[in-house]
Amino acid sequence: MSELYYEEEEFTTQHTGKTLRRTLKQGTKHWPLMVGFLIFISAVSFVDSYFTYLSKQIIDEGILANNTDALMRIIVQYGIFILIQAGLVLGFIYCAGKLGQLVQYDLRKRMFDKLQSLSLSYFDRTPVGWLMSRVTSDSQRVGELVSWGFLDMTWAVTNIGVAIVFMLFINWQLALIIIAIIPILVIVAVKFKQRILVEFRKVRKINSKITASFNENITGVRVVKALRREEKNLEEFQDETTAMYNAGFKAAWLSALFLPVVQIISAFGVAMVVLVGGYQYTIGGMTIGGIQAFISYITFMLWPIQQLAMVYASMQQAVASAERIFSLIDEEPEIVDADGVAQPASMRGDIVFDNMSFYYNADEPIIKNMNLTVKEGETVALVGPTGAGKSTIVNLVARFYEPKSGSIQIAGRDYREWTLHGLQSRIGMVLQTPHLFSGTVMDNLRYGRLDATDEEIVAAAKMAGADEFISNLEKKYETEVGEGGGLLSVGQKQLISIARAILAQPDILILDEATSSVDTLTEALIQRGMEYLMAGRTSFVIAHRLSTIKRADRIIVIEAGEITENGTHAELIRARGHYYDLYTRQFREEMAQGYDTFASAELQPMLA
Amino acid sequence: MTEKTFDMRETIADNRLLGLWRMMTGYRALYLAAVVCIGLATVARSGIYFLLAYFVDDVLLAQSATVSVALVAAGFIVLAVLQGGFTFLGGRWAAKTSESIVRRLRDYLYDHVQRLSFTYHDKMQTGELLQRSTSDVDTLRRFYAEQTIGFGRITLMFAVNFTALLLLDVRLAFLSIIVIPIVIIISLFFFKKMYSVFEAFQQQEAVLSNTLQENLTGVRVVKAFARQAYESDKFEGDNIEKYRRGIKLTYMHAAYWPATDILCSLQMLFGFTVGALMTINGTISIGMYLAYMGLVVQIIWPIRGLGRLIAEMSTGFVAYHRIMEIMRVDREPLDEGSFAPVRPIQGALAFENVTFAYEGEEPVLHNISFAVESGQTVAFMGSTGSGKTSLMNLLPRFYNFQEGRILLDGKPLTDYPRGYLRQHIGIVQQEPFLFSRSIRDNITYGVDRHVTDDEVEAAAREAAVHDVIMSFPKGYDTMVGERGVTLSGGQKQRVTVARMLLKQPQILIFDDATSSVDTETEAVMRKAILEQNASRTTLVIAHRIQSVMSADQIFVLDKGRIVQRGTHRELVVEEGIYRNVYDLQARIEDELQRDLADAAVAAGKANGRNVNGQPDGSELSTGKLSLA
Repeated sequence: MSELYYEEEEFTTQHTGKTLRRTLKQGTKHWPLMVGFLIFISAVSFVDSYFTYLSKQIIDEGILANNTDALMRIIVQYGIFILIQAGLVLGFIYCAGKLGQLVQYDLRKRMFDKLQSLSLSYFDRTPVGWLMSRVTSDSQRVGELVSWGFLDMTWAVTNIGVAIVFMLFINWQLALIIIAIIPILVIVAVKFKQRILVEFRKVRKINSKITASFNENITGVRVVKALRREEKNLEEFQDETTAMYNAGFKAAWLSALFLPVVQIISAFGVAMVVLVGGYQYTIGGMTIGGIQAFISYITFMLWPIQQLAMVYASMQQAVASAERIFSLIDEEPEIVDADGVAQPASMRGDIVFDNMSFYYNADEPIIKNMNLTVKEGETVALVGPTGAGKSTIVNLVARFYEPKSGSIQIAGRDYREWTLHGLQSRIGMVLQTPHLFSGTVMDNLRYGRLDATDEEIVAAAKMAGADEFISNLEKKYETEVGEGGGLLSVGQKQLISIARAILAQPDILILDEATSSVDTLTEALIQRGMEYLMAGRTSFVIAHRLSTIKRADRIIVIEAGEITENGTHAELIRARGHYYDLYTRQFREEMAQGYDTFASAELQPMLA
Repeated sequence: MTEKTFDMRETIADNRLLGLWRMMTGYRALYLAAVVCIGLATVARSGIYFLLAYFVDDVLLAQSATVSVALVAAGFIVLAVLQGGFTFLGGRWAAKTSESIVRRLRDYLYDHVQRLSFTYHDKMQTGELLQRSTSDVDTLRRFYAEQTIGFGRITLMFAVNFTALLLLDVRLAFLSIIVIPIVIIISLFFFKKMYSVFEAFQQQEAVLSNTLQENLTGVRVVKAFARQAYESDKFEGDNIEKYRRGIKLTYMHAAYWPATDILCSLQMLFGFTVGALMTINGTISIGMYLAYMGLVVQIIWPIRGLGRLIAEMSTGFVAYHRIMEIMRVDREPLDEGSFAPVRPIQGALAFENVTFAYEGEEPVLHNISFAVESGQTVAFMGSTGSGKTSLMNLLPRFYNFQEGRILLDGKPLTDYPRGYLRQHIGIVQQEPFLFSRSIRDNITYGVDRHVTDDEVEAAAREAAVHDVIMSFPKGYDTMVGERGVTLSGGQKQRVTVARMLLKQPQILIFDDATSSVDTETEAVMRKAILEQNASRTTLVIAHRIQSVMSADQIFVLDKGRIVQRGTHRELVVEEGIYRNVYDLQARIEDELQRDLADAAVAAGKANGRNVNGQPDGSELSTGKLSLA
């Protein structure tokens, strides 16, 4: 549930102004739309205020003057402005809506492209959930701030401004009194909204806790029932819902208080109009229509002020979102091609680790002064305890990370002198947890080589031993594999990922625990494909299964980031060192775990 | 409190409106008060316009004294305070109602879900259940907090202000609402349509997220095949589609609002005109006309939002329906059972021709019969799907069997209440499940009594996990799942064993629980468990011959039947699965020995040592010889 909590993390920012300017810049790229909605919305504000003025005219010049002609003239004018206003509204919705979508689209695109270029180390330290929220919810928040937020703000400000101008025009003394009230209204409204925002954040936090509790209670329901812990669980949960009730209720009633407070303050404005306007009317400086107009202006002012407070509140969130987005966009990939590097035609050749070291923190070395030469076409098995650095070594070979000191040479050159794309497109990887993309089996196989023909794909699947099960699927190669390949078994996914690697025809092959999560029967099936795949290719194999390890040309034992043994299976057994220990221990474990699958696979023929 | 005694099952109804109404039980008075307040606030607001009318007609035009003007001014403030106060009270009470209703629902659902049977949880997906328990509940909260109140507000605004208009002038009142039916129809139609466009937009959002997520989780594959450009293209396709659907939404808004603007504004203007002419004719006073101008706004504009409100309300109905699908499922009765045990369980078990099938499926256990004496250890072997786990799950009555009977201490198992059985039967499950709380809390999770730190540590020691826990900076207070703390499968398993040791059940089931623990640790754990209580009945599912050979009885299951039974000595000389497994494991062992011997030949030449001098290699082979 850690992803949920990530969402709650708030950036405390010192550069709000800078970020805000940069955020607005996202909109100014599409300046015609921005200018468009600024013009439309300002005009809307003007017409809104003008309607109130026209109402005053109806009263003063039509009704009180008993002038039906004048009345009709004003009415017609009013009608025309209604049509104009509708056009203006259409204009600003179009401009702001389109701008918002465009900005969101842009941000998503830029973030995604940036993500493609970032190095693996970035993904190691950044949770997927965090990145997801950047691309989805944060981009939306920023898009909305730049369009609707900015629009609302413009509307609110121009609305108040235009109303003031009209009031000044009708009666400047009274207008000045009203102007004095406006800042009070704005400050109270904004402070209030901030306070409400804090409460809503609390609600969100508790809410994700409740979701986490629910999740755990559902996934762990078998344990809960077995331990007969229902009552205590409910008690604990009730503490959470009580906290949620308190926070939710508080946030809700504070929100309910907002409008009344603003309304009551503005009622003092109305009272002033009645007092002063009433007095002026008696001495002949104010008309009844004028008083009506003033009251309208003041009561209507509630909405722009509420709008302002709302934009202000959401702006804080949007700026925090923008900051996170920019931090992603500004991220520099750690591994980039140096100038003038060569595009390799092939990555065949010996691979030399020359006194190579790697670490994340200098005082915690992960790989220490590694020296090793792997001949072209050789299969090397990396063995050693968990955390010894086996996966780090293959990730270094694939240049997902680069050596901190020393070098890795491929085909006679430091591999940093080849292009990254050139190297990585010549490497094939089959990973422990095979990753498939949603789409058909065919789509996933084609991922290995985008221009492969259907025939080539089927051929590769046959070599990998995947064709058999694919042909038994309902729609064969056109079967959807589901999200993350979820509709297939792990073994089936593994076969597809092997076929995919065969199709790619890589020069260097990396098998990282490729068969550890499949049963013995499936492994036997996969083995054929694996052997075909490894034939003639320089291969690095990380494996637990002894059958796989034994087949390697050479076995490298890694412990705590160092090569402790290096030789063939027979040599290392004879040496009675680490490999020997590992081997004997491992053998017993396999013996124990093996039974289950043997029972269904190998044992049955024995019984017959 | 009424909320404690209210039975939530009453809210289950085929008629959704009725169900939603029943869900408000206990809070209806408060909700009614909230609605009344909102009504009063509306009346106060209309009052403001009447005060304005009075002010113009009877103060200004009547040329009264200024004192009266001050009173009128004060009147405006009083009315605003009344309006504000009632609005606030209405909002506060509505919030209280909705939050209370939802709290009760959340609590009930949480409890309900954990009391549903295994059969239900087997079929239901976690994500689905979670979504219904959280976001659907939140949809209901909004239904009560915003939509029903909003609906009430619009209705009351219309009723109060229209009454006010009727008081002004009947003809004028009716002339002022001509477009309202049209606007309502357009808005209902629009928001219905809008809902489907919005749905499509949301769907695309899901597609986009999915593409993104797959790209991020598959980042190694993307990089390994150097497919960055391809991925960008794929994302671009989804991204542009989302943009298109977003624009479509914009277009719909851009059409709806100006169109209804024109309708509503023209209606107002029409009213203004008629009213103005009537004022000139002297049918109504100038003050009344001013009041009219204010009131008519309060009727016409809120109507535009009605369609949106109704569309949103329909999501509440859907959420109700989805929640009810869970609520309708019967809970597993924990306390049902006629037998009231007077003395503790002894642990003697007898299965008599038990046949069991999962709901709507073929039987997975056929005619199972065996007996276990109190204090015995029995082992079950068999391949995946042979029915071992199903068999174990019958004991705490997680599932009901169809035929035969099971006796516990001579009494039918079905007479024991489920809750009672589960308190006295401990299961260490195949997949260790830890909760995201501290390790200490995980160990004490299953016991009701207060447990001292010493007891916790003792249990952890016995389960051979104390040292691992102490290696974490925060020791027993380490949160499971905390960043930087990773427990391996075997370590998790040991924590669950410690949990079980604290619970001290009379019957203990090990469901393949030690397969992820190495042989040595397993021996340590086994000893600890045995020593804790020698009279405990233990049932073990295991794969290693080593794990089962010391058992008092061994049962071999195949396709839901017991095909072999006996002790290790008996079974090992009997033709059958057990011996095949034994031979196979011996064969592997032989192979290992041969391999080592080969190496020893070379090494032996150097230092003259015999292979059996290696304690590690000889342990099992000697054990085998003595038993065979």
